[in-house]
Amino acid sequence: MESKQNRYILIGLTVFCILLIGVTAINDQWLAPLRTGVGYVLIPIQSGVNRVGISIYQELSDYGQLKTALEENRRLQSEIDRLIEENNRLTAEQYELQRLRELYDLDQEYMQYEKTAARVIANDSGDWFQVFRVDKGSADGIQVGSNVLAGGGLAGIVTDVGAHYATVRSIIDDSSRVSAMAVQSGETCFVAGDLTLYKDGRLRITNIKKGGDVKEGDRIVTSNISSRFLPGILVGYAVDVSIDSNQLTSSGYLIPAARFNNLQEVLIITDVKETEDLTGE
Amino acid sequence: MKKILINLILIVIAFTIQNCVFPLIPFFSASPNLLLILTFSFGFMGGQRAGMLYGVLAGILLDLFYSGPFGFYTLFYVYVGYVNGICTKYYYEEYITLPLVLSIFNELAYNMYIYVFRFLIRGRLNLFYYLRELVIPETIFTVVTTLFIYRLLLYINRRLTEFESRRDTTIV
Repeated sequence: MESKQNRYILIGLTVFCILLIGVTAINDQWLAPLRTGVGYVLIPIQSGVNRVGISIYQELSDYGQLKTALEENRRLQSEIDRLIEENNRLTAEQYELQRLRELYDLDQEYMQYEKTAARVIANDSGDWFQVFRVDKGSADGIQVGSNVLAGGGLAGIVTDVGAHYATVRSIIDDSSRVSAMAVQSGETCFVAGDLTLYKDGRLRITNIKKGGDVKEGDRIVTSNISSRFLPGILVGYAVDVSIDSNQLTSSGYLIPAARFNNLQEVLIITDVKETEDLTGE
Repeated sequence: MKKILINLILIVIAFTIQNCVFPLIPFFSASPNLLLILTFSFGFMGGQRAGMLYGVLAGILLDLFYSGPFGFYTLFYVYVGYVNGICTKYYYEEYITLPLVLSIFNELAYNMYIYVFRFLIRGRLNLFYYLRELVIPETIFTVVTTLFIYRLLLYINRRLTEFESRRDTTIV
C-alpha cells in the first residue's frame, strides 16, 4: 500500500519537475523573486563560511609565501623602474593620440566603462561547469549580461542576478562562446570554452575566415559585433592557429589573460551592451 | 519533526561546504559530492518517502544556485532518494558494504545524467576523456567520503532515536 503511494508521489514529482524544466527553459524570469528570497538566507552563510575558509587558508599560505615574496619584491622593484620609464613615454604618446583623435573626430573609446568590484563567495563544486557566485547583485547595479573581468582580462558573464548576489558563467565553461576579434587585423572569430582543454589552461578559437590574419601571439579582444560583450575587452592571446580540414576556416587556441585558478576578486562592468535598443529605434 | 529539521540543517551545511570550502583547497582536483551522499543515505536509512523528501530539498538548493532550467537537479535527486529507498529493506546498522556500492552507482549515474543532458546533446562525444578526467576521480573521492559521512549519519540517527524514545517514556 505504502509503496504504491510512494510510486504516485514519485510520478507526481517527476511530472512536476519536467513541467518546471520545460517552463523555465523558455522563460525563467518569474523565478527571480524566489531565488532572491532564498538568497537572503543563503548568501550570508556562504559569504561567512567563505571568509573563514579564506582567512584560514591565507594564514597557512602566508608563511610559505614570505620567502618568495621577498624575492619577488626585488624583482618587482626593477619592474617598477622600467614601467615608470615606459609610462612616461606612453603619456607622451597619449597626448599625441588625443591630438590625432580630435583630428579624426574619433570619439569611440575603449574600456571607459563603469565597474564595481565583487568577491567570489562560492564555486560550482563539481568539475562539469565553471560557474561561480559573487556577493554583489542588482542592488549594486549588476544586471544579467554584465561582463566580468579578472586579472586584466575577460572572465565571464552574469547569467543570473538577485538582490545581493550574481551568478557568473566564466569563459572557460564548456557552453561559453564569445564573439571576438584580433586587434591587429580586426579579423573576427569565436572564443569557445572546452572542458577537454580546461586542464591545459586553453580555450578554443574557431571560425576564423580562411586567409584571415590571426598569428601566434595576437591579442584577441571582444568584438564590436558581439551582442552581449562590450567591445575591446582583452580576452587572451592566440596560439597554434591552423587551417581546418574543411579548408574554409581556420581555428586555434587561446591562452586567457584572466587567471582562473583561485579566482577571489573580480570587477563587474555595470554597463550592459543593449543591442535590442539599437534595433528598436 | 526534530529529525527533519536536523537533516535539513545538515543538507544546508553540506551544500555550503561543497560550494564555498572545497574549491578553496588547492590540491583537491576533484571533490566529493556531499549532497548526493546525504540524499542517498537518508533514502537508504529512512525509506523511499524520506529519500524523496530530502531529494527534493537538496535538488531545489542546487537548482536555485545555478541558472538554467529549474528542476534539472531536483528531478535527479528525487530519483536517487526513491531508488535508494528501495534498498532500505536490506538496511541494518554497521553494514557498510551496500552503502559503498550504492555510492558508486549513484555517483556514476549522476555524472552520466549531467553528461548526457548537458554535454552529449551539444555534440560533445569524447566520453572517455570525461570519464577519465572527471567522473572516476570524483567517484573515488565520494566513495571514500561516504565511509566517514555514513558513519556520522548513523551516529546522529541513533542518538535521535534514543532521545525520542526516552522522551516518550518520561511522558508516559
